[in-house]
Parts: sequence; structure tokens; C-alpha cells
Amino acid sequence: MSNHTTSSPWKSLVALPENIWQSIFRNPLPSSDLGRASTSFSNFFLHLHPVKVHRHSLRATFTLGLGLISFFLFFILVVTGILLMFYYVPSTTQAYDRMLDLRGTVAFGIFLRNMHRWAAHGMVAAVFLHMCRVFLTGSYKPPREFNWVLGVLLLLVTLFLSFTGYLLPWDQLAFWAITVGTSIASYAPLVGKQVKFILLGDSTVGQEALLRFYVLHVAVLPVVMSLLVAIHFWRIRKDGGLSRPEEEDALPADTPQTQVEVVQGPAVVMATSPAAAAEPVLQKRHYGIQGLVRGPFTKVGNVPDRSVFAWPNLFMAELVVFLITVAGVLLVSLLFNAPLEEPVNIMHPPNPAKAPWYFLGLQEQVSYSAFWGGVGIPGLEVLLLLLVPYLDRKVAGVGRWFARERLLANFLFLTFVIVNVILIIIGTFFRGPNWEFVSPW
Amino acid sequence: MKTPVKATIDESGDAMTRRRLLSWLSGFGLFGSLIITVFSNLIFIKPRATYGQPNRFSIGRPDDFPSGARVSLDERRVCIIRDGDKVAAISTTCTHLGCIVSVSETGFSCPCHGSRYDQDGNVTGGPAPRALPWFQVSLAPNGEIEVDKDTEIEAGSYLRV
Repeated sequence: MSNHTTSSPWKSLVALPENIWQSIFRNPLPSSDLGRASTSFSNFFLHLHPVKVHRHSLRATFTLGLGLISFFLFFILVVTGILLMFYYVPSTTQAYDRMLDLRGTVAFGIFLRNMHRWAAHGMVAAVFLHMCRVFLTGSYKPPREFNWVLGVLLLLVTLFLSFTGYLLPWDQLAFWAITVGTSIASYAPLVGKQVKFILLGDSTVGQEALLRFYVLHVAVLPVVMSLLVAIHFWRIRKDGGLSRPEEEDALPADTPQTQVEVVQGPAVVMATSPAAAAEPVLQKRHYGIQGLVRGPFTKVGNVPDRSVFAWPNLFMAELVVFLITVAGVLLVSLLFNAPLEEPVNIMHPPNPAKAPWYFLGLQEQVSYSAFWGGVGIPGLEVLLLLLVPYLDRKVAGVGRWFARERLLANFLFLTFVIVNVILIIIGTFFRGPNWEFVSPW
Repeated sequence: MKTPVKATIDESGDAMTRRRLLSWLSGFGLFGSLIITVFSNLIFIKPRATYGQPNRFSIGRPDDFPSGARVSLDERRVCIIRDGDKVAAISTTCTHLGCIVSVSETGFSCPCHGSRYDQDGNVTGGPAPRALPWFQVSLAPNGEIEVDKDTEIEAGSYLRV
């Protein structure tokens, strides 16, 4: 009796670390398939992933990891952005001094700003390249149409986030890029002038604009972005994983039909077919999962099992992409400092005043015609991008790079990409004072 | 046998039952509230007062501008021109994308996209879609010249001082 009362607290003390650990992580490190499966779906962060993933989706040459890179860059941006918020003041009299403080006094200040700046540029590029990958592999075809639309929206939010962040250092680069950028918006028919006024909070770029861009940049747009990213990821699962060619799912003759055995209870009968209700309850029947789940994509039992467990295959791949992304951002941030020009001086616009590089194609177009270059053509391009999966209904060449069947679609898309890249190159390197043509050599 | 339940009448959808009517009304109510919320927010974020530079301001006495002067007040974004006893104010905000145009020998030129204007602000080259506007200029009782950027006037109309 006394033995019991003395040993019990001692025993629970000894078992304390293990008990705490087990209350958090229900599974030990998996050594069996069952363990691998339950680790995936009993962990909050891992359960976003499928328990099993198709081998084709894990091929680095298929995805190039671009979606993951975009997401990890966004993650880096959130972390460094929150840290920078501790020292930044969105005021025309203080913002620029705070930039200098980041350089001079704040520990790791310049490094954090570099990381934030380069990750932002990288994210614009990664999101755009991700879009190219999805198009060129025909991955927007049914049932993934809506996820493509979400992706185009994510590209727009990325650009807007980058654009609002551009003003915050309150240097010459920031001021004139935003002056030019918001003037482009004012060319939109009917609402253009109003949009510009609401965006700037005034008729010119000033304190109100700085405050508004700050709020958009640190609160409104990141929330919109996170929500869209969440839906984007969720849709990948619901649309049956990443796209893959039909032949990856083709049924070899000797594949055994694996079927899920369901012991029929009344509830299952209701869910499957009313006709079965007449049959005696508790009779053993075989059902494929597709009998219980709506939708054409859950093909359990019809496909050869070319999938592997997410633990460790998918998680390891993700970890590698994450490490490469972080390493890349760190390296660039060590080598190059984020630009900081003179403080805002509205009397001396730089000549030429240039927008951020990803808008220089737009600015080049604008130099020919403000409405068509700044609003008309970009608006049409965005509209066409949004409608791509609804205009191109041919279901062929899905899940392969540059599929022969998609020659025309890929040709049109690549034309769009190349024209825009050329415009950006012209705007960046070949335009000098008064936007006149100069040779960089 | 039981008598058919009321629900079957509702689902047939022909008759406007009380449930159907109430559903429609609450649907309209909720949707309407959403629209009102969106518009209220738009009204909220559109400022009623701005805190930047006023659009009506004094620029000093006429004697400060000798005849033939073309003085660009960059912070006010106007150029004051004086020709004999005539004074006028031309906007220096480029009509293309809002950069500040600089005074050149032939008129005005914009550093951003290369728009060019003549002495009176008419477009002579580049992507600018229209001429630089002229603003109303008046003589205040204290003898100073007042510019009102909210009132555009016809190009070529001067104030005689």
C-alpha cells in the first residue's frame, strides 16, 4: 500500500517527457505503412498533404518545384516583413530615416531588408514561371480549371503586394515608380480617376498614399494572399493531385482489382443506393470507394498503384526545395544590397523615372499609348489568362511538357510570354533620358 | 397510410408558400446588407478632406515675376508665366503619367516618357494625350496673385496686372 503511494508520483515524473511528447505527437516515427499513413493525417501541418502521392507528381523535371518555391518565398516574406515592421514607420518624415537606420544601427537590419527585397522580386518571377509551367504542361484542363483562375488571381495579388511595398522606403525610386504606376491606373475607363484617388487618398503621392500602401501591404493583401493560397492548395487535393498523363494511370492487364470491403450497415445503404435497402442488413458486399464519394476523380481500385507514401517521399522533397529556396535568398542577400536612392525630392524627378522591373514592359507599352498600353492591353491579357481553361476545352496532352497535341496553345502562350519579356528588356536596358532609345553598350 | 407531408408541396415550387416567401425575403435582406456594407466601406476609404497641399494658394506679388519670366513652382506643380502685364499659370503635371514636366527652351518636356509641349502647353510630341491645363489666376485684395488649381480655364487667357 505504502509502496504504491510513494512510487506513483515518481513513476509519472519519470514518464513525464514521454507523456508530453506522446500527447503532442500521437505516432512514433513511422516504420510501417500504417504508421506512415497515420503520421501524415494526424499531424496538423502534414495533414494538408495526401497520405499517398503519385510518383509523377514528385518528378522534379515535371514541376520544377516552382509552386513550392513561390510559397516558401511568401513564407520568408511574411517572416522578414513582420520583423521589419518592428522598426518601420509609415510617415513621410520618418520612413527614409528608418531605412538608413536599418543600414546603420539595427542588428541584421540591412540583411533583413535585403532578404525581403530579393524574396519579393524572386516571388514575382517564381509565380510567373509557375504559371508558365502549368500552362506548358496543360495542367489547367478539367477538373483543374478553377485552380488556374485562382492562380492568375494569386499572380495579380503578388504584383500588387510587390507594388505597394515599393513605395515604403520613400526614396526617389519609390516615389516616382508609384507616381507613374498610379497614373497608369487612372486611365481605366469610368472608374480610373476614382480608383487613383482612393488608392492615394489624395490627388498626388504623399503621406496619405504612404499610409494606405502600408496598410494594404502589411494587412489587407497578405490576408487575401493567404486565403487564396489556402484555397489553391485545397483545390489541388480536391482536383485529384497534380496533373499527370493518362498513360500514368493506364491499367496493365495483370493489375489486381483492389477493392474496399464495406460491412453494410443501414447508413451505408442509404449513402450508396436506395435499391440496396431492400437487401438484408449486415450482408457483406464489396464497394469501391467511388461508390461512397462523389466526383470522377477518386479512382480507387481502377488504377495501378503508382503512388508512394507522402512520408517520407513528399516531405523530403518539400524540405529540399525549402532549403534550396532559403539558401538562394540568403546567398543573394549576402552578395547584393537592396537599392536605396536619395530621399524623395518632388522637384527632381529622375530621368528616366522607371517603374519596378516587372512593370517595365507595361511602362514600355505605356510610352506608345497610355490607355492601350497601360489599361487596354494588360486588361485584355488578364481576361484571356483567366478564361484560358474555358476557351481551350480540348482534353489532350495533359501532364506533359510541350505536348504535341497542344502545339497551337503553347505557341500562342509562348508568344505572349516572349513579347512581354522583350518589352521588359527594352524598358530596362534600352531606355534612357526622356525614354529615348539608348544602347546599353 | 400516412397523408403526404407538407414538404412535398414546398418542393414542387409552384405555389408561393410562406416558407418560400420568407426564404426569399431573408435572402434579399442578407444580400442587400452585403451590398450596403461594401458601399459603406468604399465611402469610408474615400477621403472627404485631404491633408496634402491646398489647391488654392498665393504665389506672391506680381512684381516678383519680371516680364518674360517662366517660373516653375515644382512643389505647387504650376508654372507661372508673365508676358508684359499678363500673368497665367500652367500645370506642370504631365497629362500622360503625372510626372513633373520641366521648362525647356521650346516649352515643356517630361522626363518620364518624353512628352513634349510648346510654350502654351500644347502637345508637340510624345505620348501625352492632351495639353497642359491652364489654371485660374486672380489678384487677391492684398495684392498677391492667387492660383486656383480646381478651376481650369481656356488656354491663352491671361490676368492683366
